Amino acid sequence: MTLRFGALVLAALLLNACASSTGTREGGVPYPQPPVSTVPPSTQPPMQPIPGTSGSTGPVVIEPVKPAAPTFPRTAENISGQAVVSLMRKAADARTQGQLDLAASQLERAQRIEPRNYFVWSALAKVYLDQQQYDQAISVAGKSTSLARGNLYVEVENWKTIARALQGKGDSLGAVQAEARVDEIERSLGGG
Amino acid sequence: MARPSSPLFRRILWFSLAALVIGISVGGLLLSGYLIQLDQEIRTRFAGSRWALPAQVYAAAQDLYPGRKLDAPELRHELERLGYRPSEVLNGPGTFVASKDRIDVEVRAFRFWDGPQPQYKIAVKMDEAGIAEIQDLEADAPRDIVRLDPMLIGSIYPQAQGEDRVLVRLDEVPELLRKGLVAVEDRGFYEHFGISVRGILRAALANLRAGHAVQGASTITQQLVKNFFLTPKRDLRRKAKEALMALLLEAHYSKDEILEAYFNEIHLGQDGDRAVHGFGLGSRFYFNKPISELRTHEIALLVGVVKGSSAYNPRRNPERAKARRDLVLKVFFEEGLISEDEYTSAVAEPLSIAGGKGGSVERYPAFVDLVRRQLKGQYQDVDLTNEGLRIFTTLDPRTQEVLESDLSEGISKLEKDRKLKEGTLQTAGVVTSVDGGEVLAIVGGREFRYAGFNRALDSRRSIGSLAKPFVFLTALHQQPDRFNLHTIIDDEPISMKLPNKQVWAPQNYDKKLHGPQPLYMALAQSYNLPTVRAGLEVGAAKVLETMKATGYYGDAQPNPSVFLGAVDIAPLDVAQMYGTLAAGGYQSKLSAIRSVTTKEGEALNRYPIKVKQTLPEGPTYLINWAMTKVISLGTGRAALSAVPPGTSLAGKTGTTDDLRDSWFAGFGADRVAVVWMGRDDYKPMGFTGSSGALVLWTRVMKDLQVRGLDMVPPPDVEEQLTDTYTGLKADEGCQSTVLLPYLRGRAPTEFAPCAKSAVNTPLDWLREIFE
Repeated sequence: MTLRFGALVLAALLLNACASSTGTREGGVPYPQPPVSTVPPSTQPPMQPIPGTSGSTGPVVIEPVKPAAPTFPRTAENISGQAVVSLMRKAADARTQGQLDLAASQLERAQRIEPRNYFVWSALAKVYLDQQQYDQAISVAGKSTSLARGNLYVEVENWKTIARALQGKGDSLGAVQAEARVDEIERSLGGG
Repeated sequence: MARPSSPLFRRILWFSLAALVIGISVGGLLLSGYLIQLDQEIRTRFAGSRWALPAQVYAAAQDLYPGRKLDAPELRHELERLGYRPSEVLNGPGTFVASKDRIDVEVRAFRFWDGPQPQYKIAVKMDEAGIAEIQDLEADAPRDIVRLDPMLIGSIYPQAQGEDRVLVRLDEVPELLRKGLVAVEDRGFYEHFGISVRGILRAALANLRAGHAVQGASTITQQLVKNFFLTPKRDLRRKAKEALMALLLEAHYSKDEILEAYFNEIHLGQDGDRAVHGFGLGSRFYFNKPISELRTHEIALLVGVVKGSSAYNPRRNPERAKARRDLVLKVFFEEGLISEDEYTSAVAEPLSIAGGKGGSVERYPAFVDLVRRQLKGQYQDVDLTNEGLRIFTTLDPRTQEVLESDLSEGISKLEKDRKLKEGTLQTAGVVTSVDGGEVLAIVGGREFRYAGFNRALDSRRSIGSLAKPFVFLTALHQQPDRFNLHTIIDDEPISMKLPNKQVWAPQNYDKKLHGPQPLYMALAQSYNLPTVRAGLEVGAAKVLETMKATGYYGDAQPNPSVFLGAVDIAPLDVAQMYGTLAAGGYQSKLSAIRSVTTKEGEALNRYPIKVKQTLPEGPTYLINWAMTKVISLGTGRAALSAVPPGTSLAGKTGTTDDLRDSWFAGFGADRVAVVWMGRDDYKPMGFTGSSGALVLWTRVMKDLQVRGLDMVPPPDVEEQLTDTYTGLKADEGCQSTVLLPYLRGRAPTEFAPCAKSAVNTPLDWLREIFE
């Protein structure tokens, strides 16, 4: 109360000093007003924490990987619409034929249809890798992992991309760490 | 007097003859020299590229695929916007047949950057959810995805002369247009050598009879020469030059070459500074479709306009233009180019000019402005205006249409509600895609059809409370031990001396004090004092760092006034900043262009999606969560009722001193939208972010049917049910709780007194005794 009183005094002083009021206090607000909603506890199980994956270019920390939840979709077909699956196929064909710009543009088309489809982003990262745009490959793989929210099937692919991109950049140590990450996830997937 | 046979006479005769011969020779020599010079001029101009070809700017091509939310009326609208014509049966490219839940389309051939796409016929079947199936009518097989040809939305023509054109080859010109033009403008075209003596005599006679000039005698060749080589000056000398050049042109080039040049050169209209040249652009300008799809009455109109693009301007003088068109149709009929039936039905057609009175090819000047700026530095001006480059952009016509109508209608309604004079307020808006960073729509002012002050790009105004998320994000990120979403911050007066010796004493907008606030509530209710307190703890420099990480590139000084948004930023740049937040800290530089090709379709440049993580995911998720509270319970509440229940959106209101600027910036799962409203003269206009820009933003988000956020925390964030009174761990025993996200490992571990699981509290101890 004294603090508040002090504040009021200060306010009054300031009122005189710069001829502008600092405000009147709302009556009877004892403490933070309770928020309007009362939210029930989450019914979803918490996501598997995958430490060290949020930053794509930061140092790679190797931590034990928990087994993948069995519900994670394994392939793009599991979560994508017909159009996106078709575009991803075209992109894969183009990539095998070395038409990397075409592959990228098909994936970008797919991304516009399903902006948060992490399989699409993961495939796009691989095209960047082929184009030797290593920073983009790492960033896009990171974004895919971020959108995948713990899906290890996608994550392992992204770590492979990151490992090869770091290798391409000449960061051998980073590449080895990323490889270790790949092994770790693969082991857990094999076991789980 | 010398007799004819006298030597003197003979001498005179001989001298005269010699003088004559010399005179003729000299004159001939001079004339030859002049002719050689003209000839040179003609050949130089006609060889190679004859015209400076402005770059053509295309909107994004529409993808159609099963599962796309698009009903039959919407698809029909899309097709009509592309200049497709409804028909009983498919009747060539650019036609469609619509029934209740099926639309058959004959899609035009188009040369995309990744190769040519031939024309094809499809049936698009719809159900309640949107497109159910797409059938290829020729292959009789389903298609997963098809692409419509993109809309031509503008061109980059030189500012000085302003000549714009879309080049056509003679074999692309419909036969009726070719023959009809000759019949009307120069019936003897295929017989004369460039000038028509018969024509001159006929015209002279007609003019003599009328007593003034009623008929011109220019052949098509002369008209071309006049347009192509000469200035509009009219005198006898120029007329003679024109005739000579016409003869020379005919000597060097075939009738077809001359006609093709004519089709591309002739002036067909004016659109502000821009001169519409040639039938290729004329067809787009007046009918919004390629020349090959023109119908009889449309061809007649264009042929009619040749006589005088101003006098017969169908938008300005529709009656005169129609009379001229019908006269041309009569000539077509009399020359046997169309049957009587065709004639009668064509005469009965209305003018059917695209876009009505104000229509033009350049429909989106604010967007094309952005495209032009983005290309600057990568291409020389002269490449853009001369080389006929094809620029494929990110503009989404449907989004653009929504943004335009919602802003302009919305602002008129706000003016009416407040009894303000129409035109008092101005507005600007931007819609972008969250994950690809594509600019989908731009409105630069309420008169969005006219190129002018582009407020979306150039009006840098104080962002006010739009700065608050960056302040709190900095706090959450820089001092995770000190700040989480429930950290209590005092809502108490602050006053401080600034370096310029002035006392800075910010207040809350409502000039009230609301008691200590949890961080997220301070943001949701947009309280100034807690924001400044948090800001002072982290420092203005750090807050500016965060803003820069989201895409701000200005040079604001690290003063405390930054916390309350005393930073001038343009709406497009605000969209970049909020877009980085929306994408979870992964910044994609906003881009308006996807690719550029040569006029032959060869790819020059592609602008791939670029992604860079500039902010950590966890704190960004927390601030986005807090911004969903702005809409679910804070200053953005009004948006809630407009979107379907359960749709989660995030955003922030912005209001500046004395209500000079009203902002709202926010996003759903895939769209970021920023709306600014205010006055050009910086005078107060009486709207807050909530009462002004939010109203417009809400309309836009609703009409775009924007997808709600699915707030799934990233791996480094955990959720914890929290007691709203104490900020401690809660369970079903607590009355007022909120499920709050925390950075992993930083959620409260101690149970609140209200929790059933709370142990070692006096209450539990007592309860245990009595149970």
